[in-house]
Amino acid sequence: MPESVSNITAQMPRAKLAGLLLFFLGPAVAIYSLFSIYPLVATMALSTYTSDPSGGRHFVGLANFQTLLGDALWSKPFWNAFGNNLIFFAVHMCVQNPIGIALAGLLSLPGLRLKGFYRTVMFLPTMLSVVIVGFSWNLILSPLWGVASGALKAVGLGSLFAPWLGLESSALVTLSLISVWQFVGIPMMLIYAALLNIPDELIDAARVDGLGHFRIFFHIKLPLVLPTISLVSVLTFVANFNAFDLIYSVKGALAGPNFATDILGTFFYRTFFGNQLQLGNPTMGSAVATVMFFIILVGLCLYLFLVQRRIRRFAF
Amino acid sequence: MANLRIEHLNKRYGATTVLNDVNLKIEDGEFVVLVGPSGCGKSTLLRMIAGLDGASGGDIHIAGKPVNTLAPAERGIAMVFQSYALYPHMNVRKNMTFGLKFTGVPPAERERRVAEAARMLRLEELLERYPRDLSGGQRQRVAIGRAIVREPAVFLFDEPLSNLDAALRVSTRVEIANLHRLLKSTIVYVTHDQVEAMTLADRIVVMNKGCIEQVGRPLDLYYAPANLFVAGFIGSPAMNFFEAKVGSVEGGCARVAGPGFRSFDLPTASLRVGDTLTVGVRPEHLGRGEDGPFAVEGVVELVERLGESSFAYVRRADDRLFVAEVRGRQTPMPGERATFFAAARDVHVFDAASLRVSTQNDA
Ligand SMILES: Nc1ncnc2c1ncn2[C@@H]1O[C@H](COP(=O)(O)OP(=O)(O)OP(=O)(O)O)[C@@H](O)[C@H]1O
Ligand SMILES: [Mg+2]
Repeated sequence: MPESVSNITAQMPRAKLAGLLLFFLGPAVAIYSLFSIYPLVATMALSTYTSDPSGGRHFVGLANFQTLLGDALWSKPFWNAFGNNLIFFAVHMCVQNPIGIALAGLLSLPGLRLKGFYRTVMFLPTMLSVVIVGFSWNLILSPLWGVASGALKAVGLGSLFAPWLGLESSALVTLSLISVWQFVGIPMMLIYAALLNIPDELIDAARVDGLGHFRIFFHIKLPLVLPTISLVSVLTFVANFNAFDLIYSVKGALAGPNFATDILGTFFYRTFFGNQLQLGNPTMGSAVATVMFFIILVGLCLYLFLVQRRIRRFAF
Repeated sequence: MANLRIEHLNKRYGATTVLNDVNLKIEDGEFVVLVGPSGCGKSTLLRMIAGLDGASGGDIHIAGKPVNTLAPAERGIAMVFQSYALYPHMNVRKNMTFGLKFTGVPPAERERRVAEAARMLRLEELLERYPRDLSGGQRQRVAIGRAIVREPAVFLFDEPLSNLDAALRVSTRVEIANLHRLLKSTIVYVTHDQVEAMTLADRIVVMNKGCIEQVGRPLDLYYAPANLFVAGFIGSPAMNFFEAKVGSVEGGCARVAGPGFRSFDLPTASLRVGDTLTVGVRPEHLGRGEDGPFAVEGVVELVERLGESSFAYVRRADDRLFVAEVRGRQTPMPGERATFFAAARDVHVFDAASLRVSTQNDA
């Protein structure tokens, strides 16, 4: 019988063992520390300082957080961004993921032709740069030269058109939908891959049991890809609360109109780097970043404890 | 329970023909086993009976009713798959009742059927378990249970035992035989395993390259294979074949001669001088005992001892090998020169078209 690993390592000289560990684990630990742990710790550390006009830094403990959450000058835009971010996330969960699931379900139907073509077409926007997507949609929806109003007029719905990106009431949802349009390919692909894993005989068994395609999808396929759907939800959550680029490229750092599209990412950007009349404030910015980190951490923990533990993966 | 009639059934995928003019009649309550080499279309035929694949031509009738346009669930069939195909996210009870819900069986009736099937298959203890917590044999029984509760007219099995180990295969085989005796339902069963086919079947259907080669009772196939393919396919080790020609014909007897074996007379009227033949003799019918009309001689190269009997690999004068099953004290030693005999009724003769030449011996 081959010797067990713990036996082998127990007999090794200490120095040799240490060398071995360093050789195999060292590079990964070094890179992870340098690029993930250090920035995180440094950001958290910075958030406990404040800088005076002369450039000196003083330790202030949790005062920055007190300001951020307690001082109306800071807390109002913060909660505004947080609320917008929740809406941004909700639109993705309610629109992007159901559509992704539905598309994956359609793609996995037996006998569908041009599967590869549909798959590519629907995944294409995901591969475009966010800047290009933002710019194109800006043009499409522009009330001056956009094609949207013309297209609606052509089908007799011209009265429905509004400058959606410019209205406080609709800008955030419009931006969310643009993001959905761009990224719907990702849940589609992940769920499609999971659906392909379901053995054909299982589907045949369901057909013999008298289920049509629709019922097979809801009673067999959907429960079996639930683990993937929950994974997609987590990815959506993390991506949405870290989002920044689409808003920035369509609306700029001010996330107009009147901060209606301001989310945590843009709020952080203005705080840290400054914008127009607002001076950059790295220590306050770090506090915002730290709060964002904890929001995502809490979200993930809730998910892990409430959802993940109840979900079972199925082996076929 | 119902009979099953398949007429001129064809299946093509693009240019490849998978099933070619299949005709088959299965009586009510019959246990029919489909055998054939891998890729010959057994599963395809079964799936077409189930309605999982459409036909390219031909008709299928179940209980006298054409079912070509019916969905699987409307055909009155139940299928047991090779991989069991249990729903992983449902417990055993749910697995069995799930299909009934969609065919409008009332809840009380569902429970009654599940209870009965569970009793029959000894699944009572397992009803609340999930498939992942079951052994292979238990999963197989659940899959059979799921078929039983549908109370189908025809059961379809696609290699149901091939994922089980040898011992379990034997016991599950016995269970399936018992089940058939109890339910008296029509069963179509696909297998690779000759022993399964021989033991379970009322009739065996031998398929090759999308065609049916022969349909018959197990022993008919063994003792009177209709053609070369069936002769070579049924039986293990396979039948020995010898090339031969008709030397002379006189008085309703043809003299069959060929390299490596002693010429013999065949009581048949259908042959002409010069016809090419193939003579087949099963290893277990070649003995060293009394003289028979058929005799073949050679040098023993190798002896495989199995205990109760041995397989002798013998090289004939024309440098071809044949196999003989020998028993007890008759067992030769390697290097020994030996002569083997076969009785007239154990000698199968096939003509140039590979078809069996019927003789008076067959009677
Ligand atoms: N979708 C398909 N397209 C083309 N050819 C197919 C398709 N499905 C099956 N075939 C071919 O049909 C033939 C019969 O397949 P089938 O599965 O019925 O064989 P089988 O007798 O069940 O073999 P096995 O004993 O290995 O299970 C095979 O040659 C296979 O390659
Ligand atoms: Mg098969």
